[in-house]
Amino acid sequence: MIRLVPRHDQGARHGPAARGGLWALALALVLALVSGAMAFSLLGADFLQAYAAMASGALGSAQARMDVLLKAGPLTLTGLAVALCCRLKHWNIGAEGQFVLGAVGAGLLGLRLLPDAGPWLLLPGCLLAGALFGALWAAVPALLRTRCGVNEILSTLLLNYVAIIFMEHLYFGPWRDPAGFGFPGTAELPAAAWLPLWPGTRLHLGLALALLCALLLWLAQERTRYGFQCRVLGQSPEAARYAGFRVDRITLVSFLFSGALAGLAGACEVLGAQHRLQDGLASGFGFDGIIVAFLARLHPLGVPAAALFLAVILVGGDQLQTALGLPGAVVRILEAALLFGVLAGDWLAGRRLVVGSREADHAG
Amino acid sequence: MTQTTPLLACRGLTKRFGPFTANAAVDLDLFAGRVHALLGENGAGKSTLMHMLSGRYRPDAGSILLQGQPVRFASPAQSLRRGIGMVHQRFLLVEPLTVAENLSLGLGRLVSAAEVRDLSQRFGVAVDPVRRVEDLSMGERQRVEILKLLARDAMVLILDEPASVLAPEEARELYALLRVLARDGRAVVFISHKLEEIGRSADEVTVLRRGRVVARGLAPASDLDPADLARLMTGGEPAPVDQSARPEPGEVVFAGTGLVGGDSRGMGFSGIDLTVRRGEIFAVVGVAGNGQEDLAAALGGVRPFAAGEITFLGQGLPAQRWGGHRRAVAYVPEDRHGRATAPDLDLTDNYLLTAACGAGFLPDFAEAGRRVRRALEAFRIAAPGPGARARQLSGGNLQKFILARELDREAPLLVAEQPTQGLDVAALAEIQAVLRRAASDRAVILFTGDPEEALALGSRVAVMYRGRLAGTLDPADPGALDRVGRLMAGLEAA
Repeated sequence: MIRLVPRHDQGARHGPAARGGLWALALALVLALVSGAMAFSLLGADFLQAYAAMASGALGSAQARMDVLLKAGPLTLTGLAVALCCRLKHWNIGAEGQFVLGAVGAGLLGLRLLPDAGPWLLLPGCLLAGALFGALWAAVPALLRTRCGVNEILSTLLLNYVAIIFMEHLYFGPWRDPAGFGFPGTAELPAAAWLPLWPGTRLHLGLALALLCALLLWLAQERTRYGFQCRVLGQSPEAARYAGFRVDRITLVSFLFSGALAGLAGACEVLGAQHRLQDGLASGFGFDGIIVAFLARLHPLGVPAAALFLAVILVGGDQLQTALGLPGAVVRILEAALLFGVLAGDWLAGRRLVVGSREADHAG
Repeated sequence: MTQTTPLLACRGLTKRFGPFTANAAVDLDLFAGRVHALLGENGAGKSTLMHMLSGRYRPDAGSILLQGQPVRFASPAQSLRRGIGMVHQRFLLVEPLTVAENLSLGLGRLVSAAEVRDLSQRFGVAVDPVRRVEDLSMGERQRVEILKLLARDAMVLILDEPASVLAPEEARELYALLRVLARDGRAVVFISHKLEEIGRSADEVTVLRRGRVVARGLAPASDLDPADLARLMTGGEPAPVDQSARPEPGEVVFAGTGLVGGDSRGMGFSGIDLTVRRGEIFAVVGVAGNGQEDLAAALGGVRPFAAGEITFLGQGLPAQRWGGHRRAVAYVPEDRHGRATAPDLDLTDNYLLTAACGAGFLPDFAEAGRRVRRALEAFRIAAPGPGARARQLSGGNLQKFILARELDREAPLLVAEQPTQGLDVAALAEIQAVLRRAASDRAVILFTGDPEEALALGSRVAVMYRGRLAGTLDPADPGALDRVGRLMAGLEAA
């Protein structure tokens, strides 16, 4: 008889989130690959061929590799946003809405308030406005949580749809480009607000900003009192209260930071890639951030790597539609397989395999 | 009553947890009609043994015999079906529900109040079926647990430290009840580490030490010399209690008048007046659930006072603002894992919880690590180093770590809540010595449930009953112990 029993080992410093480590991650990948293969087979495709198509689709050309990097930037920021709250055992499912509000904030400054300002004012202003709007949007569920005890999973999730509809209202209505031939979207932002590009490519400064944020967040979590307090609060709220930490304030600040990161992602997407608010801006970066955060095991320095990996899957997955004629939803299936893989990997990594009868349990 | 076949017995029962052997080849016979006491220090393996008999743990070796027939239990439910029931130290009752409703849950069918009254009368276990469990005293709750087992025809009753939550008077009632239940043909076994409980209640005593039976069949218990039992439990002479002269108390550190507080869940407290001076231990003793948890948390600055006046080092302030002085009071809460420490964080992080070097924007992790290392050495704490997680430390070592951390802060006031609860004799003596030393240059308020500890350590002893201080006595008074017991049980007004 083969059974799984809990493992009594000593974990790393940061508790359960880091416990499984690489072993859980490897398990996650295997599980995801296997369930992806099953999905492909059910759709009538050869899974080896499908994976090969994904790989070449994501990495086979300079164009594709650029797409991967362009997606990795916002995914890093939303991944950091989700991971930050998760370490407090709070679940910010609202990165998507905060991302959208960040885009709106950048648009508000660039299109409405300061359209004629110079680049030294407008670009930082738009980035800040994006972060600020994202933070304010996250403040709503945070205050509902700390003041009224409203479950933040529900409030952050539902506010996503409010944010998306609000943005649609803006570019279908008051902010619609009068010269846009009726296409839903705002006018183009002034060039002074655009993020600088790496010469000769479409790669904008957003990725560098995202990497900088990952580094800063890691330093904040490891070295500052705020990071220390988050660590305690996430592991043991009762100990945090005992130590006299202002638990509600730490929670609120964390949500503000989290929203600011997601908002910054939205602003970068507008200022670096799309240059306007339009359909397709809310394409799921916020939700994908959840997968990134868990793939990175909530570690800020793991987030960019996880974001890059997920970007490969997203870009490669898109190729499946054209190369093999598979439905677009197959990418979502792969993402889901990956998330379930991580969760199952965590669970399995906390256990060990025992071969033998029940009586041998705990022996030796 | 003598019988040849024990109702329940075990032979060579062994249980290991990883490298640790909790029970090694234990033999035990439980006869119908007898009350059996299982005696041993904390960690001697008493609870493990009982959990194997009640089906929660599966033994690694050995057998359990029910009326001479070998049996195996996969779960507590299975053992209860065979007539073996256990009353846990923490009651398994749903507090907002009534007694009858709790019994319904236990029996898996609806039980009417009238039926509960019948059961109550049949077994001689007094309970009121329509009262909510949350309104019951600890003794009453315990009787509900016992009735739950009796209603399912349990013939073997196992009780894990049944007297630890009871006032002395309630404990006497419990032992009388156990005797009646045994006389009706049941086998009763209870765990204890209190010597004096054994004398008045058991027909037979078995002593466990480090997972092994070191003495069996000691009977009748009343003949046993407590000093002999203590030697059997510890394997050596118990540490003598240091009765050296206490230093003269100095200035008043903390004086509170008319203190009121507590949340809606607990008992709360009101009308508390207390004054503590530098150089003394002011002991507050009471049965769990009489408001001392709330008072300790409020004094520790973790929960707010609702009203009252406080004078701290000569400065007057309204009690509601006491929480702002969190940093001026060192507080050792009862819950070592989860409140005083975050179990999954390392000792350095846990040290920084309340230490001054954790207060700035950038906590000084290196300094904290050095201080932890120093504390591990000075207090002889068995831990791999500052990187060890709090969860890895044993209860006694973790308590020493917490005390070391709180004493390092050199706060003028130390509030220690149940600091020796659940510790073995050696750790207990160390903690008590640390508290005595701590009192030499600060004021200490000690909350304890153990009257003897209160009298041994306290310069003055106050008894807390139903949220009020029922009286303050001098431990040197003759008959102080008796009086504390009566005050704790509410038999005597202040």
